[in-house]
Amino acid sequence: MKSYPFAQTPARSLTAALPLLLSLIPPPTCSAEDAPESAPAAAAAVETMPVVAVPTPAVATPRELSLHELIDQQIGAALAAKGIAPAARANDAEFLRRIYLDLTGSIPTLGEAKAFLDDKSPIKRQQLVDRLLNSPEYARQMQRVFDVALMERRPAQHIGQAQWEEYLRNAFAANKPWDVLVREILASDGADADLRPAARFYLDRGGEPNLLARDVGRLFLGRDMQCAQCHDHPLVSAYLQTDYYGLLAFFNRSFLFTPKEEPKAVVFAEKAEGDIAFKSVFVADATDQPARPHLPGEKEVEEPQFEKGQEYAVSPADGVRPVPKYSRRSRLPVLLPRGDNVAFRRNIANRLWALMMGRGLVHPLDMQHDGNPPSHPVLLDLLGQRCAEMGFDIKAFLREVALSETYQRTSELPPGVETLPPDSFAAAALKPLSAEQLALASLQATGITDVYRASLGPALNEATLSEKVAANLPAFLGVFAGQAGQPEQEFQATLEQTLFMANGGVLRSWIAPQAGNLADRLNRVNEPAAVADQIYLCVLSRPPAADELADLTVYLQARTQDRPVAIQEWIWGLLASDEFRFNH
Amino acid sequence: MQQYLSCGASEHRLSRRSLLAGMVSAGAGLAHVTGLSHLVRPAVAADLAAQQKRVLIFFMAGGLSQLESWDPKPNTERGGPFRAIPTSVPGTHICELLPFTAQQMHRLCLVRGVNTAEDDHGKGAVFMETGRRDSPAQRYPALGSVVSRLVAPPAMALPGYVHIQPGGGGVNKADAAFLGPKFASITIGNGQPPANLLRPNDLTPIGDQQRNDLRLKANQRFTARRRTAETEAYSSSYEQARQLVERADIFDVSKESAQDQERYGSHDFGRHCLLARRLLEQGLTCVKVTHTNYDSHSENFDFHIEQLGEFDRPFATLIDDLAQRGMLDSTLVIVMSEFGRTPKINHLFGRDHWSKAWSVALAGCGLQKGAVVGKTNDDGTAVTDREVDARHLFHTYFRALGVDSTANYPGLNRPIPIGDPAGDAIQELLT
Amino acid sequence: MMADQPASSPPAPDPTQVRQVKELKHDRPLFACRIDHTGRYAFTGAQDNQVARWELESDAKLALAGHESWVRGMAFQPAGELLATGDYAGKLCAWRWAADGAANPVYQIPAHQGWLRAVAASPDGTTFATCGNDRFVRLYGATDGKPLRELAGHESHVYNVAFHPSGGQLASCDLKGVVKHWDLSSGAVVRQLDGSLLWKYDPTFHADIGGARGMAFSSDGTWLACAGTTEVTNAFAGIGNAVVVLFDWATGERKQVLRPKDNFQGVAWSVAFHPAGFIVAVAGGQHGGAMWFFKPEEPNPFFTFKLPAGARDLALHPDGYRLAIAHSDGVLRLYDMSPKPAA
Repeated sequence: MKSYPFAQTPARSLTAALPLLLSLIPPPTCSAEDAPESAPAAAAAVETMPVVAVPTPAVATPRELSLHELIDQQIGAALAAKGIAPAARANDAEFLRRIYLDLTGSIPTLGEAKAFLDDKSPIKRQQLVDRLLNSPEYARQMQRVFDVALMERRPAQHIGQAQWEEYLRNAFAANKPWDVLVREILASDGADADLRPAARFYLDRGGEPNLLARDVGRLFLGRDMQCAQCHDHPLVSAYLQTDYYGLLAFFNRSFLFTPKEEPKAVVFAEKAEGDIAFKSVFVADATDQPARPHLPGEKEVEEPQFEKGQEYAVSPADGVRPVPKYSRRSRLPVLLPRGDNVAFRRNIANRLWALMMGRGLVHPLDMQHDGNPPSHPVLLDLLGQRCAEMGFDIKAFLREVALSETYQRTSELPPGVETLPPDSFAAAALKPLSAEQLALASLQATGITDVYRASLGPALNEATLSEKVAANLPAFLGVFAGQAGQPEQEFQATLEQTLFMANGGVLRSWIAPQAGNLADRLNRVNEPAAVADQIYLCVLSRPPAADELADLTVYLQARTQDRPVAIQEWIWGLLASDEFRFNH
Repeated sequence: MQQYLSCGASEHRLSRRSLLAGMVSAGAGLAHVTGLSHLVRPAVAADLAAQQKRVLIFFMAGGLSQLESWDPKPNTERGGPFRAIPTSVPGTHICELLPFTAQQMHRLCLVRGVNTAEDDHGKGAVFMETGRRDSPAQRYPALGSVVSRLVAPPAMALPGYVHIQPGGGGVNKADAAFLGPKFASITIGNGQPPANLLRPNDLTPIGDQQRNDLRLKANQRFTARRRTAETEAYSSSYEQARQLVERADIFDVSKESAQDQERYGSHDFGRHCLLARRLLEQGLTCVKVTHTNYDSHSENFDFHIEQLGEFDRPFATLIDDLAQRGMLDSTLVIVMSEFGRTPKINHLFGRDHWSKAWSVALAGCGLQKGAVVGKTNDDGTAVTDREVDARHLFHTYFRALGVDSTANYPGLNRPIPIGDPAGDAIQELLT
Repeated sequence: MMADQPASSPPAPDPTQVRQVKELKHDRPLFACRIDHTGRYAFTGAQDNQVARWELESDAKLALAGHESWVRGMAFQPAGELLATGDYAGKLCAWRWAADGAANPVYQIPAHQGWLRAVAASPDGTTFATCGNDRFVRLYGATDGKPLRELAGHESHVYNVAFHPSGGQLASCDLKGVVKHWDLSSGAVVRQLDGSLLWKYDPTFHADIGGARGMAFSSDGTWLACAGTTEVTNAFAGIGNAVVVLFDWATGERKQVLRPKDNFQGVAWSVAFHPAGFIVAVAGGQHGGAMWFFKPEEPNPFFTFKLPAGARDLALHPDGYRLAIAHSDGVLRLYDMSPKPAA
């Protein structure tokens, strides 16, 4: 697999290389000549497409600033303009828990927490960010995040969940640029064994053209144009019916093809004919308007015309996959994931920002349009541009966000301040743990993951540990994960979830003492201060406060008769607390 | 994602954007989304409780035959062997398989001109339950989830939407679609209470209290300077769950009197109807009872005798009980299926799927008592008067519940109308 | 309903040569048929509220009005002048079947609550027995319709009833295949025979399917045949296999399960013992109709005849050669089993 070296200071180095890169980019054309003539040609285009195309910035970019400095400058300027005093810098423990959850999906072990808190280095936060970004845990966490984002918990049908996860994990481990990843996803038809997992985006949506048009718009362009299926969006003037059908037209000739000899090797095939037309349901006597493929707001793709009977490289026949000479769908990976596609680069910048900050600069993430302006328009433009300039290097981008003061603020409001607007980013957001984060953090907090580590002995590594841990996830995910096919919803506490936490056997079994887990270890510690230290560092990744130590000491003194029960009560009290449920 | 408390919570988020202008033109029933005082349930005044609207859905799975129920065509080529019987509404006849129901007709109303044009079970159910045609790119929430979102008191310990059916239980998140899992149906399979409702044996009530106190204390520290609507929602969910655990026996139908158990019948459906009454009386907002099965492609008449023979008495008893208790005026009752059945009787004495002309029965919540809206032709194949589909019905349900169904959903981050704009309410059923 | 053997000794009927000889078209699907003991008329019930009388010689049709629902039950007073018919409104009517012109019922009785599913006549002609969904078997005086006795004990819909040729005994079968042997002098259940092979509770659809759709004793009283469907895998699509269960009346044991080799999908709606010693059963299902000829001692038919449409009832003609079948396509078809003259 191709590797993508992780540049420590990508913004500067890429900026320096800008003229060179620009000179390599052919002028954008949409002539029929450069249209791939067949599906194999489209696959080849994945490798040859230019990665970066940078337009003239809309605003003067202070090139001397690194991206994280730029973030702080922009956010800071907006705060100053509004007269908002931001929250203080997060303390080390708060930063520690936050960055672990964001970049690895779980909380630190007792040892990791202690080591970081005891570390006296002035650059220990940056060192931690770099260490985590280069850890296998990072690749797996990104795999989880992008699996849920791209597939929205749809059941695996044609591509195994494990293959898809491996594909994503390898991509993030190699730091595959976002545009390359998207190009693979949009170009893969499932026929090429190496790229077959990438075809899951199409195949496990059943190849349904409307669903694909909607989700390509939402996930890669930040535009949910569902309402524009039937009419121009009544409230969003930028969402036009013609744009929805323009996206749909890339897919309307495509269909799932099942090879007779290999019924499981379903591929996404395409016909050479089939046009769509639309009319508004709101306009009486509307006439059908033909729809040709085009990206929202852009001009229609020019399509080669073939004589009747000459349209196919491989003609359709019973049991034969047809191959058209001109593939509509293959235009999409060429046209969409490009640095000069403003919607594309803004979408990924906004999504990565939201991953770290808890909300997008445009929020909701798939409602990028004039009527829903970004909270910080200049910053969003800059982030999009820089992201493209950095070669859509996801690690580098996340690193810059993580190093910003904006990211590193505490979630505690400053004294005397009653409220701060969430879209000002004046304080850190409380991010509800995802279903996966909640399960993994609970396993780590209760020491079950430590038990697995011990049991693996010399075989311990990220992969073997992950495999052990994975067996525990389904029970949690069944209760906490969102509905298949729906975007992850905003936070809701459901009765089912709370009863699971309160009375469920799974969590109770983790809290109950078993050799090597937290309760078991605490049962063998006498000193209340040592108990408090371990319990708070393990569950909440911070040392206990003085009053917490005092309370715990009194509690344990009163419960000498049933001390193990008292310890479990304390663990549960912390696990069920707001502090645990949210990434703060 | 999060809102700080004093920020006005979701209201703030809504009003900020021009795109959402006019989004919450909502009427009664939506008011609760604004304030946060609901997070701790206030002492509910008696008149408030009386205004509390409820919904009771009977889902006749498989497709109830309209000819064997609400729209009989006796002694016609396709009418089948059954006779029509008079009801408590002069001039209105229904099939003889529903003698008890016939005596409740003055409390019901019939929509006989339903044409949903969807003969597939799955898609028909989606259309009827969501008021939207099934679309691969967008799933809409089911009626009960919408009721849970828009009508149920937000801080109630009870789940907003409970589905009683034979077979397995669990949570059906698909029902809630974009409203989120909080509004999903909780299925009571064969009378089993929801999972984890009962406190585990090794957890004493005192121990439970103690650990809960520890949780609250930890929250106090954390939220002193971090309180958001989301931390409130999370923390209060434990209080709601605790209240429900204390009331776990609301799911136990054996607590009802022996006399009532006899009146409702000893079969599953009778018990399910009595459980529905119990839950509604306890304040639950939406209960759906599935009665299965009506998909009679062969021997339609025998099977309708069997199924409606089971349905008729408990259903009529429940309508009567709701009326006697003064609850029917605030409880919307809906009897629906995926579709109706073919007027043509096939050579196996079956009727197949027919969505072009069928019936839905409604009651309560101010709907016109004893009304019959819509008509089908003599052989039952087509609607000849006041044709409606699932969209009109969906608007009608919410208008009856005091919700402006033409408004957008409150609190969503995108504008989605509650009812399909392509339909409107059946005015003549609304008072 | 079965005629005595002709006095002379004509050639025996040959089922393997069975052929259609007449079609009588009704305007609704037929549901029941019987032929009078003189062989002059066939009577049919249909998916309407009529009993139709067909003169087999002339094809002349006479409608008998009086029923309020579909007529499935039909029985002649043996060699008598009355035909009893029962409908799905629970009504029992008696007709002077040979009367000229449109006739009114001799009497009409609300015999059952809900469907009246079958009627049988006692061998001595004095009594009609009926059964229905109200779970009762009832006995009426044949000439005046006077209620004689109510036989209670079935726990599900009673699908069929038949008098034993010896008189004084009655068999009835319900939805769940419970066959009760009644002593008519006391009204008591003598014993119960297990016909549960004919019944299935379909857990998918939460419904029962079963019952003896056809029921007959052999003329010597040795055998009781119950026709229906078995091994149902999908009640609501009618996926099951047509079957006839044969009981040894002396022991009450199930002696034979008669079924076609091809596991015909559908329901055996009628069964009859031919005086020549074979058993005829007819069925209808997804893929049309079939008629089978069995020997009591063999489980599979010795001859199968495909019918042009699903069969719902069967009546033997007293000539010993012909038989009539009521079809789902509304046609009463007459078939002939007489040996064909050599070509």
